[in-house]
Amino acid sequence: MAHGASFRGEFMKIIIVGAGEVGYQIAEKLSEENQDVFVIDKDPEKIRRITENLDVQALHGSGTSPEMLKTSGIKEADMLVAATDSDEVNLIACLLARNLNAYILKVARLRNPEYLKEKELFSRDLLAVDRIINPESVMVETIRNLMMLPGASDVVDFEDGRVKLVGITIKPDSPYAGRQILSFQGLEGRVLMGAIVRGEQVFIPHGEDTIRSNDLVYLVVKSDAMPYGFGFFEFEPNEGRRVFIVGAGETGSALASALEREKMPVKIIERDAHKCAALAEKLDKAIVIHGDGTDKDLLQEENIKDVDFMVAVTGDEENNILISLLAKALGAKKTITRINKLSYISLVSAIGIDTVVSSRLSAVRAILQYIRRGRIISVAPLKGEHAEAIEAEALETSDIVNVPLAKVKFPKGALVGAIIRGEEIIIPTGNSVIKPKDRLIILALHQALPKLEKLLTVKLDYF
Amino acid sequence: MHIRRVFRLIGLLLCFLGLSMSLPLLVSLIYNDPSTRPLVFSIMLCCALGLVIFFLSRGEEITHLSHRDGVAIVTLGWLAAGLAGALPFLLSGAFDNFTDAYFESLSGFTTTGASVLSNIEKLPPGILMWRSVTQWLGGMGIIVLSIAILPFLGIGGMQLYKAEIPSPVVDKLKPRISDTAKILWKVYILITALQIALLLAGGMGAFDAVCHTFCTMPTGGFSPKNASIAHYNSPYFDAVIIVFMLLAGINFSLHYRLLKGEAAVFGRDPECRLFLSLVGIFIVLVTLDVYGSVYSSLSQAFRYAAFQVSSIITTTGFVTADFDQWPSLSRNVLVLCMFLGGMAGSTGGGLKTMRVMLLAKHAYQEIFRIIHPHAVTTVKLGGKAVPGEILSSIWGFFILYLGIFVISTMIMAALGLDVISAFASVAACIFNVGPGLGSVGPVQNYLHLPLLGKWVLMFCMLLGRLEIYTVIVLLMPEYWRK
Repeated sequence: MAHGASFRGEFMKIIIVGAGEVGYQIAEKLSEENQDVFVIDKDPEKIRRITENLDVQALHGSGTSPEMLKTSGIKEADMLVAATDSDEVNLIACLLARNLNAYILKVARLRNPEYLKEKELFSRDLLAVDRIINPESVMVETIRNLMMLPGASDVVDFEDGRVKLVGITIKPDSPYAGRQILSFQGLEGRVLMGAIVRGEQVFIPHGEDTIRSNDLVYLVVKSDAMPYGFGFFEFEPNEGRRVFIVGAGETGSALASALEREKMPVKIIERDAHKCAALAEKLDKAIVIHGDGTDKDLLQEENIKDVDFMVAVTGDEENNILISLLAKALGAKKTITRINKLSYISLVSAIGIDTVVSSRLSAVRAILQYIRRGRIISVAPLKGEHAEAIEAEALETSDIVNVPLAKVKFPKGALVGAIIRGEEIIIPTGNSVIKPKDRLIILALHQALPKLEKLLTVKLDYF
Repeated sequence: MHIRRVFRLIGLLLCFLGLSMSLPLLVSLIYNDPSTRPLVFSIMLCCALGLVIFFLSRGEEITHLSHRDGVAIVTLGWLAAGLAGALPFLLSGAFDNFTDAYFESLSGFTTTGASVLSNIEKLPPGILMWRSVTQWLGGMGIIVLSIAILPFLGIGGMQLYKAEIPSPVVDKLKPRISDTAKILWKVYILITALQIALLLAGGMGAFDAVCHTFCTMPTGGFSPKNASIAHYNSPYFDAVIIVFMLLAGINFSLHYRLLKGEAAVFGRDPECRLFLSLVGIFIVLVTLDVYGSVYSSLSQAFRYAAFQVSSIITTTGFVTADFDQWPSLSRNVLVLCMFLGGMAGSTGGGLKTMRVMLLAKHAYQEIFRIIHPHAVTTVKLGGKAVPGEILSSIWGFFILYLGIFVISTMIMAALGLDVISAFASVAACIFNVGPGLGSVGPVQNYLHLPLLGKWVLMFCMLLGRLEIYTVIVLLMPEYWRK
């Protein structure tokens, strides 16, 4: 992505601690935008992988070593992203960063809920973490969103959930397979087809394009428009729907508590007896079952066939896939599967798994949203990786304002999904007009980003 | 390998080389010499051919290049550069056959500086300038230049960079590879300008100053004079060129750090310390050896010894004395210099100081282990342990170098060269030095060699410049297997 050789100097210098899956993904996204990225990791193997594949500076060493942070040039850096799997390493890295550079922005990935409860810990006086990213809580939120939209494979919230980007996998027997985009005209103004992921490809659809089975279609919807029909979503209120959770780790137990509060009948299976006991103490109505999620007899005994949602969130992703497949075969209506390896995500729909959630993808999304804030308010990479949803503000100086959308020369591969004007949310048609200060949700392919920036007269790397 | 991507970039490279002939064209217009038409034709031919290849091979994105694409682009790119460089030589009638023109051109781009011209001074200034420009472009690397200029290469640039500048330890000055390439070229241009200024200040003509500088900074060694630097017989020019040859033999990232204001970088870098000490020791050895036997005054002995040692160890190949007539110890020291070469990350050839240093340390470690069988030891460089895989890759490199060296020497001997000439011609070419000993000595040239011998030496030059692996990999059947 070759935008911006001319405006060097405005790029941010970002140090990422941890070259694991999360660190890698963030480094990849940022280096595609030509930011100055430094990645620190202890594992020489990971450093080698990153040097071979990404155009970033990879440094071998510990992110909790002040010497190492100095070598990476933390004094001139704009931001530190602590994205290792260890909360403690992330916190120490932020603390050291604060000590070495008082102005640096710090983003930390944190998972242990006990730390999160200690609000003062992150205040100005102590660690001074500017943003905490807790992938598990983001993931719980995503799972609840998905339960509200049983037909969806992916949901991204904008504007505190008032606008949703909903990804739907078109099944071969779906009435929508084979229909042209044009034929959905009745939905104009309420729902917009934003992007289609077909296999490894992503594209922004035109009126003549046809939806095919196995496509992942991204729609932009107002959340209050969802209940009004539209069979795409099969929207149903959550109350009274039966949920089966496998795995009582942090995600599983947080999800169980959240669903219990919503008065949904929850059963949760866990192999570890101690975890079961602890959870049973914490929960009131939910049923905690000690056993193996892959045990067919146990699942049948617990009436898996009447279950609306089977959520497999154990720490073992291969196991999660098997549990979901088994549950599906035994009659569960819908499965939600936790997968960490991002490379699996494009594969799973092919083997019949409905919906996938990934704490790492959640973390990447959350961190990127924070990094790119500015006039580009937030951003979310779509599944399939080559497209993003961008939230941006329309400036008075931009060519897009005060002209009907149909007349605006948008770059190929970009589309306005929603216009947010104060409290009002508009799903645009060709006649809609963008006014200055409106906030826009734009779906764009990576290669359209440079042109889009120009059009918005915003640089993605503004600040 | 993605054949389209590879050819698309080679098409671009050809256009680029065509455009780089504008400088010689300008010179030729100023001097109103007969090379104007050949140069214009060469530019048009290169650009036309480049554009045709570029457009015929469109259709694949070139942002993501694999390792395999990288080595193919670099090796084929260098072969294509040789071809483009030979055009002005052929069209201007400087050579009457393709082999000699290609030899001169490849010797230029690989910064070897081995010439097949017996009377250099009779060539028109435009062609002489082109000879120098090939060296200057080849020194920092034509591919690295394209990485600096073509921003869309993105990470693909890294694969090309590694294939063209194969250093045992990758030195990335900036997080982005295109920025690193830009910095290297900026430093290169800056030092080049400085040398031109100093030569002009000493009274050298503008044309000669530019030509010599263009051949000093890449450690090339072409000279527009038949007698090379000896032509001027000026201690001032000798001194300036010695200093800049040594600067060119030092890792360019050290220059960058020096320019950024870091103090004493040369003294603190272990490789640089070793390199400069070796230069010092060799100069003393040769001075003592030639004092009395060749030169009657100590200052004369030192002046010629310093120049020859600096020229050969940085693999430049300028001469101010016919060292083939020197005593045997001096000649031996100079052959050793050819093997050692400059520092990693410099424009010099040879095995590189870094590799020699690490091999020596590793060898010492093995001896140490025999004495203390249970000792835990690591090879350290600047306080940091060097991973075993880097050491084994250097050993592999060393063995390959020796193997190719031995086979090439055998071929040269079989073609009828005497022992010293066979050995020295291969050493001078594979280490990108230029002048050797015997019949390819400093006052001789390579014109008299048999046809096959020239091609073997051209292969050696390319192997030496791209440091073996990049070229050898392409010759492996495994590379072409799907």
